[in-house]
Amino acid sequence: MAFGLKDIKAKYRELFVVEKSPEEKNQPKDIKKMARDFWYGKPHEERRLGDLYVGNTGLYKHREWRGFKDTMYYFNMIWLYNYAHMVTDIMEYGGGPQGIVEFAKGTMRYRWMGQTYLTVMHWFDRGLEGARGETMKASAWHYRGMVSETIRQFMRMFEADKKLHGGEENELWKKTIAHNETLSGNIFYGWRDQLDDVALEMIPYFVSVHVNNHTVLNYIDAAQSIGLPSDPCPMCQAEYGLFVQDDYPDYSPVMLTTNEACDGSVATSVLQDWFLNRPLYAMPQPMRYDDPLVQKHCQKEIEGAWKFVEENFGIKMNWDLYVEHAKNFNKLTEFEWEKWDVAANTPYYPITGVAQALYRIYYSQDGDRQIWHDMDAHVKRIMDKCVKNKIETFPKTRHRAIAWSCAPLYYSHWCTWAYNCWGINCVINMDSLMFDQYLRTDTYEHALEDLSWFNEKAPMRAMAVGGQEHILSLFDYMERFNCDMVIMYDQLQCKGMQGIHGVFEDEFRKRNIHAIWVPHALPDKRTVSRAEIRDIINDYMTTVMREEPLDPTLLDFDDSGSW
Amino acid sequence: MKTLFRFLFKILKIAALVYGILFAVFYYDLDGKFMYYIWEPLMIKRFDNMKRPDATAMPYSMKESVE
Repeated sequence: MAFGLKDIKAKYRELFVVEKSPEEKNQPKDIKKMARDFWYGKPHEERRLGDLYVGNTGLYKHREWRGFKDTMYYFNMIWLYNYAHMVTDIMEYGGGPQGIVEFAKGTMRYRWMGQTYLTVMHWFDRGLEGARGETMKASAWHYRGMVSETIRQFMRMFEADKKLHGGEENELWKKTIAHNETLSGNIFYGWRDQLDDVALEMIPYFVSVHVNNHTVLNYIDAAQSIGLPSDPCPMCQAEYGLFVQDDYPDYSPVMLTTNEACDGSVATSVLQDWFLNRPLYAMPQPMRYDDPLVQKHCQKEIEGAWKFVEENFGIKMNWDLYVEHAKNFNKLTEFEWEKWDVAANTPYYPITGVAQALYRIYYSQDGDRQIWHDMDAHVKRIMDKCVKNKIETFPKTRHRAIAWSCAPLYYSHWCTWAYNCWGINCVINMDSLMFDQYLRTDTYEHALEDLSWFNEKAPMRAMAVGGQEHILSLFDYMERFNCDMVIMYDQLQCKGMQGIHGVFEDEFRKRNIHAIWVPHALPDKRTVSRAEIRDIINDYMTTVMREEPLDPTLLDFDDSGSW
Repeated sequence: MKTLFRFLFKILKIAALVYGILFAVFYYDLDGKFMYYIWEPLMIKRFDNMKRPDATAMPYSMKESVE
């Protein structure tokens, strides 16, 4: 294949050269302005972020220049810092330099690892696009926490994995509890000194979609390829697709499952029971979870899970250890409430909508780990500074939005785009408001009662499929967080949410609320693309709100091939 | 003393060069371009061609009934 100088030049232009707009070309050079833009970054309306993309890839011709200070912070404290810490995390959690070998083995064995996680810095880029100053810093700490915890989990999986060690059941395999990603990690606090608990689908499926949405499509297709129906929730399909493709690490002698987020997960439990073929404990939660008649039942389910772990590992639960971790977790909850307070009542909240949502759902599901406390300390320092110095973190806010129902995993960073393009500031979202439960530890009965409540308030159950009075709590939260707009996620394959669509339409009309319905199919970008989601928001903003975009280059661009 | 300063200056120069190269990688998104155009296609090829056992061949034995 002939590849001439012309082609090289064209490729170079495609990959690196940002074309100037006709207005920019015709403008005389203003050295003062150039110097100001270099030092402070361009004003929001002049950024033209959409011009930075390479074709449909989502890559950047060059990363955004955020002003000297912020660009250097991003380079040193986000890009370099995170790349370097990824290596040290791999060694730390992998028991030294040999951790690199385990990591390499996992990378070459599992698609969700080899194809997905190495692209992680672009996950930061997408979520932090346009962010400046304290917002960029605080949100990046949230990402850092998620990356570190992800590494901890996959390193534990790889170290214990039978498939990576010639079928050998090593000591770590015998000391690791596998559980469904929607079964809370805090069920297992009582063994954290002797065993470790790692959610099975959290890393291979859930987090992977956010980082690189290409991988998950293989698992959805694999599930359907053996004749399983294509209309259930694609989250469940992807979860059992991992097993159809034999792409799950075999790191534990047992499995604990649940019907969270909704009863679609029952099929996942059944299929996992088949494919894993080992002792399995299912811990179902009732749909109408706040019925007083089901509380004892839920608590017994948890005690049943504890008994199951004790019997299978031969280790008694350490109650003092549970209390210690539960108390520590309460500190995370207390800080979360502080964050909500700042987000609800001030314009000084320094966390982007996507960082807020992902961090909250991740640590709540994962349970007490040191990394969350470390990250919260960083974020608290920044948030306190913002409040003290009255730093407006999203100065171009035109609308304060609340996002409700479950988000498109492949486009959880839509809110970053919405702020940059339209000034829609997604202050809070439903995922952040779940797990709102303090864990009492004064008596066994109180502890069990609260732990049970915590688990019942898990993703989706609390506000999506747990009864209409809960899902309609949107309006209370809207008021509490001073929002004037709703972004209503419309998961097309969620039967629970589809059933209540009309009720919401009526309520929005009755209350005269601006609500934008955002259809999606959770991890599957093929059903509703990101561009279609943007189109819907654009249409609403131009035709109903009659507003002009802050950055017109972000209105229409192709990112169909992007991670 | 002079040799020590010269040595330190040399180290500083190398560090500055490495730092500059890393900044170029960062700014021009060369890490992303490498992952997108080189690494990911290689991985897709590898995983698409990987031999996988037929998971459905495993018999499903019914567990004891739930109490």
